[in-house]
Amino acid sequence: MARRLSLKISVAGVRGIVGESLTPQLVTSYAAAFGTYCGAGPVLIGSDTRPSREMVKHAAIAGLLSVGCTPVDVGIVPVPALQFHVRKTGAFGAICISASHNPIEWNALKFIGPDGIVLRPNQSEELTDLYHQGFYPRVTAAEIAETRLDHTVLSAHREAVIALIDAEHVRRRGFRIVADCTNGAASLAMPEFLRALGCEVIELNTDMDEPFPRNPEPLPENIGGLCTLVRESGADMGIALDADADRLALVNELGEPLGEDCTIALAARHYLKRRKSPIVVNVSTSRIVDDVAAEQGCAVYRTRVGEIHVVKKMIEVGAEIGGEHNGGVILREVNPCRDSFVGMALLLESLAEEGRTLSELRGLLPHYATVKAKVECLPREVAPYLRALQQLFAGEQMDTTDGLTVLWPDRWLQARPSNTEPVLRITAEAPTEHEAEVLVREALDCIKPTL
Amino acid sequence: MRQLKIGPSGIRGVVGDGLTPELLVDFACAFGTWCDGGSIVIGHDSRRSSPMAHSAVLSGLLATGVEVVDLGLSPTPLISFAVRELGAAGGISISGSHNDARWNALKFLGPDGAHLNAVKSEELLDTFHARDFARAPWEKIRKAVPASGIEDRYIECLLAWLDADAIRSRRFRIVVDLCNGACAGVTRRLLDALRCEMVPLNLEATGEFAHPPAPNPANMRQLATLIQPLEVDLGVALNVDGDRAGFVTAGGEPLSEEFTLPLAARARMRRRPGPIVTSLSTSRMVEGVAREAGQQVMRTNVGEGHVMDRGLTEEASIAGEGSGGVAILPNSMTYDALLTLGVILEWLAVNDQSLKSATQELPSYTMRKGEIPCTPDAVHRVLERFRRAYEGRGAQLEDGVRLEWDDAWIHVRASNTEPILRVIAEAEAPERADELYQEAMGFARRTIHLHSD
Repeated sequence: MARRLSLKISVAGVRGIVGESLTPQLVTSYAAAFGTYCGAGPVLIGSDTRPSREMVKHAAIAGLLSVGCTPVDVGIVPVPALQFHVRKTGAFGAICISASHNPIEWNALKFIGPDGIVLRPNQSEELTDLYHQGFYPRVTAAEIAETRLDHTVLSAHREAVIALIDAEHVRRRGFRIVADCTNGAASLAMPEFLRALGCEVIELNTDMDEPFPRNPEPLPENIGGLCTLVRESGADMGIALDADADRLALVNELGEPLGEDCTIALAARHYLKRRKSPIVVNVSTSRIVDDVAAEQGCAVYRTRVGEIHVVKKMIEVGAEIGGEHNGGVILREVNPCRDSFVGMALLLESLAEEGRTLSELRGLLPHYATVKAKVECLPREVAPYLRALQQLFAGEQMDTTDGLTVLWPDRWLQARPSNTEPVLRITAEAPTEHEAEVLVREALDCIKPTL
Repeated sequence: MRQLKIGPSGIRGVVGDGLTPELLVDFACAFGTWCDGGSIVIGHDSRRSSPMAHSAVLSGLLATGVEVVDLGLSPTPLISFAVRELGAAGGISISGSHNDARWNALKFLGPDGAHLNAVKSEELLDTFHARDFARAPWEKIRKAVPASGIEDRYIECLLAWLDADAIRSRRFRIVVDLCNGACAGVTRRLLDALRCEMVPLNLEATGEFAHPPAPNPANMRQLATLIQPLEVDLGVALNVDGDRAGFVTAGGEPLSEEFTLPLAARARMRRRPGPIVTSLSTSRMVEGVAREAGQQVMRTNVGEGHVMDRGLTEEASIAGEGSGGVAILPNSMTYDALLTLGVILEWLAVNDQSLKSATQELPSYTMRKGEIPCTPDAVHRVLERFRRAYEGRGAQLEDGVRLEWDDAWIHVRASNTEPILRVIAEAEAPERADELYQEAMGFARRTIHLHSD
């Protein structure tokens, strides 16, 4: 069998395909490197529901133990709950075993520092250096710690998020919600969370022993089942998460997916009304956020794609709220990371306060059409592709914060390499679908001859 | 110096810079690849480092796509039993066995439940060195499953292999030194079923050992002091993973671990006469037992892999070594301290004897055992000087150097598991044993000294 070039070591962690590149040897060594990096103390280990989780988890435990850390196995948990727990328990760090939105054959290690934040790029580099040097100060048998278990992660996180909002108000509305957990890490946590907010929950894909029933990325094309069930059940809305529950996508009461871009816009609209703050989003995020922020007189900062870039900027500019185009909502007062539960809490409170339906709420935001495409692209092909596009659009306003973004007054086109897969993502946003499509088509036509 | 030994008896090393989780993962991947499908039974002893090794092994095996039956904390003979009982493709016992707490090791068992023989060990080592491991795609990665009821079945079989009624009728009272190992549960259940009263010593698997685990007189001192005050019939010491046993008489006298094999062999000759297989380093007492029963003794190089392999091909009725490790054949496929204990109790019950009088019926020899630390890089060069010095004196050279006379023998060899030279001399007359031993030790010291210059 030909092995694909599937290993990806980036700010998002170490990611690979099980049986090809994500081997137990790699995981053990990386965990030993991370344990060395953190120091000999408690390190949390949580995972999503991928069938390879046991294999990966035990490799990580062995690596951590060998350098004197105390692994704390917290089981299957949403990644934001894990990050929350790091700070709450004073752990030295955490490893999240999840390839997030990637298909089921992938798995990954995401490294979280003692502040509950994924390792910053410079920290990530230090860790990668440790790994490449391959020398880890192992402890002797007498100093080896014991693995501990901790089952309090979900309840601690749930209470902290609910404390953020007027829960009574939400409970009085008695929302009826279809929860699509893609059989992922939130299969237990999300229904429990919504029920704690007085919602009637219709569970969809909440069997943690089954493989993902859909592509876990909560894109409109992947959540058809949820849309149908919302329509058929007469629910107030549908909520779809990815496998590790850091991304949130919404379906309105008519069974129409709002698109992941709307999540941060709706959350920001509600939050900024209450508290004025700059907002930080990545360069791929819809302009709806600019409109929402302008309405409240708040500044918008843009960063490279990737949670850590957004979080870093938030700290730098003192922004309370941030997010990404992919359904990630970050609220620093709870958790310096994308937290779908925070997103849900803000949205439900917003609906309860305003007494509107989700489609009405969406109607209050401006409309842009977004068209996306993916081109397979090896790391060495990225630069030539981007150069070709730069030549094509020479003379236009360009931004190179992440890949290449070409900006016009009412539209933008972007090409950037994925942080997690060997692909180039092409995105255009314009007033109409047709106009956005034209831009994407133009970009693809420019790249293809180079293929 | 990294203390690590990769060889036919598996992989063994000092945890830390020697035995790393990466090496353990690699070996588990090699074994999963070598087994080529089916299920693999794993278990571990009570060392502090064993859960680390267990996680590494589990991960490596799962990555190759095999099913893993995880027995958790369990003795090696139980793992071996489970391999056969479940029709598994192999087994791994994670245990440093008789080594002290700094060490750990993997013992690989084949589908027959026995340690891999020389040929299979080489195949495994080749797989390890080639590093072309089977890698299962996600949908073929399985989970570890527990083996329910396997311990019940093991106890049932042990009882069926013994004359349980005879043992029950004696109502033995026994102090058992478990060395904080993996055998507490099984031992308790077996002795209860045999209506023996068990007084446990160092019962709990705390991760620390009350004394070094090899069941020899030096390590049985604590056990020996309890025997007379408690007025019990005997004391028995088990090593951490339950493959070796040593005994203390009712008078509180700790017996050399060399007695375990001949005592069990004598009992075995009564129930199932047949050849006895042992190693070149084991006491001649078994020759007396074999002669009495009109049977033969066959000797192999030191190590369970060699002894068991020969035991199986010769259809022996017992195989074991002077370390206190004994396999009752064809019932056990590894050294099994519990079945060995049972067989010796059976002999004492049937013959209405005390342990002391049973040992007095064995031929009397004096043995001197010693070891000299020798850095891993020097061991084999020192041994080579030894071979040359004794060449032409009729020495056997296949496992170190062994010289034999009518009344005595001496064996100098490198340990399979540690960077030491072992010297063993045995003779009818104590002075002769001392003389041979001193001569060899002197030579060994001088050679090591020469080498280190």
